[in-house]
Amino acid sequence: MLSSFNTDLKPFEELAGSFAAKELVKKVEEHDRHPFGPFFSDVLDKAYEVGFLGVMLPEELGGIGQDIRALCIILDSICRADGSLGGIIFTSALAQEVMLAAGAHKEAGKIFSKAASAKEFLVAYPSFCNPGQLVKLPHATKSGRNYLLTGEIEYVVMGGIASRALIPARIDDQAGYSFLLADLSDKGLEKSEPVFSLGFHACPAVDVTFKGVKARLVGEEGRGSVYFDAASRKMHVAAAAMNAGIMKGSFNEALAYAKERFQGGREIINWSEVSMILANMLIKANVADLCVAQACQAVRQENGQWGRHCMAAALHVHELACDATSDGIQVLGGNGYMKDYGQEKRYRDARQVQALLGIAPLKKIALIREAAGLDDPCAPA
Amino acid sequence: MLSRGEIADRLSSYPAFEDTMLGLQYAPRMPKAMVKETREVVAIARKFNEEVARPSALVLDRRTHEDPDYLPWELVEEANRRGFYTMWIPKLFGGKGFNLPSMSSFSEEVGSVCLGIMNVIGVHYLGVAGLMTSYNTPLIRRVLSEVVQGEKTGKPCLIALAITEPGAGTDVEEMELLEKGKVTCHARRVKGGYIVNGRKIFISMGHVSTWTALYGYSDLKNPSETTVGMMVKLGMKGFSLGTHENKMGQRVCPASELIFEDCFVPDDQVIADAQSVRKCSKKPLKEINMRYMDYTMSATRAGVGAFGTGAARGAFEKALAFANETELHGKPLINHEWVQCMLAEMYKNVMLGRLAYMEANCANGLRGAYKLLQLKPMYYYQKYMPQAYFDRVVSPLLEKESSTWLMRKMAYDWHDLADDRCASGWASLAKFTGTDFGIRNCQMAIELMGQAGLRQDRGVEKILRDAKLVQIYEGTNQLNRLNLFKCLIAPAHPKAKIFAE
Ligand SMILES: Cc1cc2nc3c(=O)[nH]c(=O)nc-3n(C[C@H](O)[C@H](O)[C@H](O)COP(=O)(O)OP(=O)(O)OC[C@H]3O[C@@H](n4cnc5c(N)ncnc54)[C@H](O)[C@@H]3O)c2cc1C
Repeated sequence: MLSSFNTDLKPFEELAGSFAAKELVKKVEEHDRHPFGPFFSDVLDKAYEVGFLGVMLPEELGGIGQDIRALCIILDSICRADGSLGGIIFTSALAQEVMLAAGAHKEAGKIFSKAASAKEFLVAYPSFCNPGQLVKLPHATKSGRNYLLTGEIEYVVMGGIASRALIPARIDDQAGYSFLLADLSDKGLEKSEPVFSLGFHACPAVDVTFKGVKARLVGEEGRGSVYFDAASRKMHVAAAAMNAGIMKGSFNEALAYAKERFQGGREIINWSEVSMILANMLIKANVADLCVAQACQAVRQENGQWGRHCMAAALHVHELACDATSDGIQVLGGNGYMKDYGQEKRYRDARQVQALLGIAPLKKIALIREAAGLDDPCAPA
Repeated sequence: MLSRGEIADRLSSYPAFEDTMLGLQYAPRMPKAMVKETREVVAIARKFNEEVARPSALVLDRRTHEDPDYLPWELVEEANRRGFYTMWIPKLFGGKGFNLPSMSSFSEEVGSVCLGIMNVIGVHYLGVAGLMTSYNTPLIRRVLSEVVQGEKTGKPCLIALAITEPGAGTDVEEMELLEKGKVTCHARRVKGGYIVNGRKIFISMGHVSTWTALYGYSDLKNPSETTVGMMVKLGMKGFSLGTHENKMGQRVCPASELIFEDCFVPDDQVIADAQSVRKCSKKPLKEINMRYMDYTMSATRAGVGAFGTGAARGAFEKALAFANETELHGKPLINHEWVQCMLAEMYKNVMLGRLAYMEANCANGLRGAYKLLQLKPMYYYQKYMPQAYFDRVVSPLLEKESSTWLMRKMAYDWHDLADDRCASGWASLAKFTGTDFGIRNCQMAIELMGQAGLRQDRGVEKILRDAKLVQIYEGTNQLNRLNLFKCLIAPAHPKAKIFAE
């Protein structure tokens, strides 16, 4: 949809589509075995090679300098095949966006343009939380020009693989939180085994414990929520694009199956109840596409309430995706429940995407408070 | 105020009073001791949850991911030690004879902690139901006595049920569809029995069950009239195990492929076939086969409704614990109004799921498959007569062909079709209500818990994975909606035809 509105984006769609076909499609089940099977490092390296880990990062900082539309198109195409790589691309972009929102261009340049591998390029980040909500954050104390981190943070995405992590932490008694960059190979840092999770098995997260780990401040003290808000507004659209892709994958597989599978002496698509389920899936997938395309427009134009529209679009798309992927299993009956097909993974991944950037009902509350001109209870006092 | 005739007239118009408010109608006929018995069953389930299910649910789930071929032998042995595999076998056949509706309460309790573990216990009763509703008393006696023996010796003897084939899932559960379906499990009549060739898939507990109630067809072009039910035993020549399926959830309960290659099944292991059924009833074979399916599924689908309700409850309990232990803006999450409304909605889903399966069980007791067992005199007779009496006096009678004849006559000829439909329709209603609520509550819990909900070690994501299966097996929820239409709506509307679009 996006690329039909914006023909200049077609090459990104083709690139991501052929990447997915070549590197992902045939090995989805194998890749999904992580953490009980090997991590797909080769795929990650190739994704880095083609620039997927720095889509919106300016070229001078080591990225490919595209806007949200390109990121959405890539995520959509990748997630049709495998949400996990989408999760990695998303996390990488989110960490970069937070750093850029904090004005840490110099720091970013040092990391990204000097990186020689995916591992060095990636900045791990707890992408499933809004650090202002319900999260126990580590503590940071100033120590010379740097800070010392202590405490724990859960679910740092790619923390087991990346060299660095961007960590939200509270500095001394300050009310808000700040972002700090930590080296993940620091001796004072302990990482758990990859957390065994619902979806995104090949986009693992770890719990991290800091015991006096040196870290550098990103942006200014106490302004973490401002940076997070700025970055997440845009990134909501990217999350929506992921679920739009997952939905398309689910619909395509369901449709193809329904045209082949016979029950009661006919292809099941010719039972009108099956047609109805498929129609509802298609409607949801199409609406999701429109939401993403329109939200991308809103981001680009930065008109008045673009942030709110983006969040609303994302919340809606996630709900659609959770329903549609459940139906996607249903159309395949027992086969849909098996790992030999792609549907059960999409069902899991859709909910994983829904949880990106924080708890869904809290996003709704934040949305209405903003629309009503009331304080966001998560903003720094 | 109204004459009897007027009342009867009004109540028989659609929707007939008899087909609704089953609980109300059943209440005066219900043996009072069922309440005490059900209380005991719930307590037994809770003890099992504390001691076994809760400590092992996540560990076992993880283990099955590490080793996809893992089979739950220890769990089966534990359930066997606790007597779970004979609890709901009638005393007539050597079991403990707990009332059948109490199994739903047990399923909800254990299912609220782990649906996979519950299935390791519960699916055995799908096999038992498949065998029992054939009314082949000598064979029932033979197989069930092995189950009872297995409990005594500590060597579990379980029963699976195999109907689904690679090309026929929905079709095998509905005769109208089966008629047009493509089945491949062939049972060829030979001297002294049948020779079976073909495959069955997704058979729960296939790898760990000693016996399997297997359905084949003697004429693949006319399966709805030529169904052959057989008991096959693991280790029989020509019967082997194929794939152990790699499922999204309920992983502790294996789903198996069963392969039959020139497998000879002797006559004394044939549950039912056209010839034997013909001796008892002249009704069309297709109708008898549908009846058979209805008897089995009316009991088991209500149970799957309880599984779904268990999932809804498990998700509710996880969400409630999260809301209690988490703070938002300095206040416990549980004190936020929107959270309270969400939890109330989830609680409601659990209660409605339960009401639906309880009502379906009342339909079964009042008019369905176990009507006879729950008649007060029969119930108390079973409950209070000593086991030795059944073993010595009643059991030998069951060996006689005449008892099979009588039971089948009662089931196929003397049992009112309207009663059968009522029980079947309600079972479908309970099945899709409870299982849809299961998914609904899991979704709400996952949304509420955000990042915490994604972690396997927090438990709720597993419930979400497990719960999806119950919308699929025992007939997809689509088939169950259509069965409700067929049983509870269509009979009063002569124009309505099913599977005829
Ligand atoms: C883990 C697991 C355990 C199981 N355990 C057992 C077991 O122990 N024993 C056993 O015999 N079976 C078992 N089953 C099989 C189960 O009962 C079937 O999967 C189920 O009946 C659906 O059949 P199917 O998978 O072939 O789907 P299909 O019948 O192919 O259905 C595919 C889709 O088409 C729809 N559909 C099909 N026909 C129609 C129609 N006429 N009208 C409208 N919609 C239609 C279905 O609703 C579904 O959405 C198990 C399945 C699973 C996944």
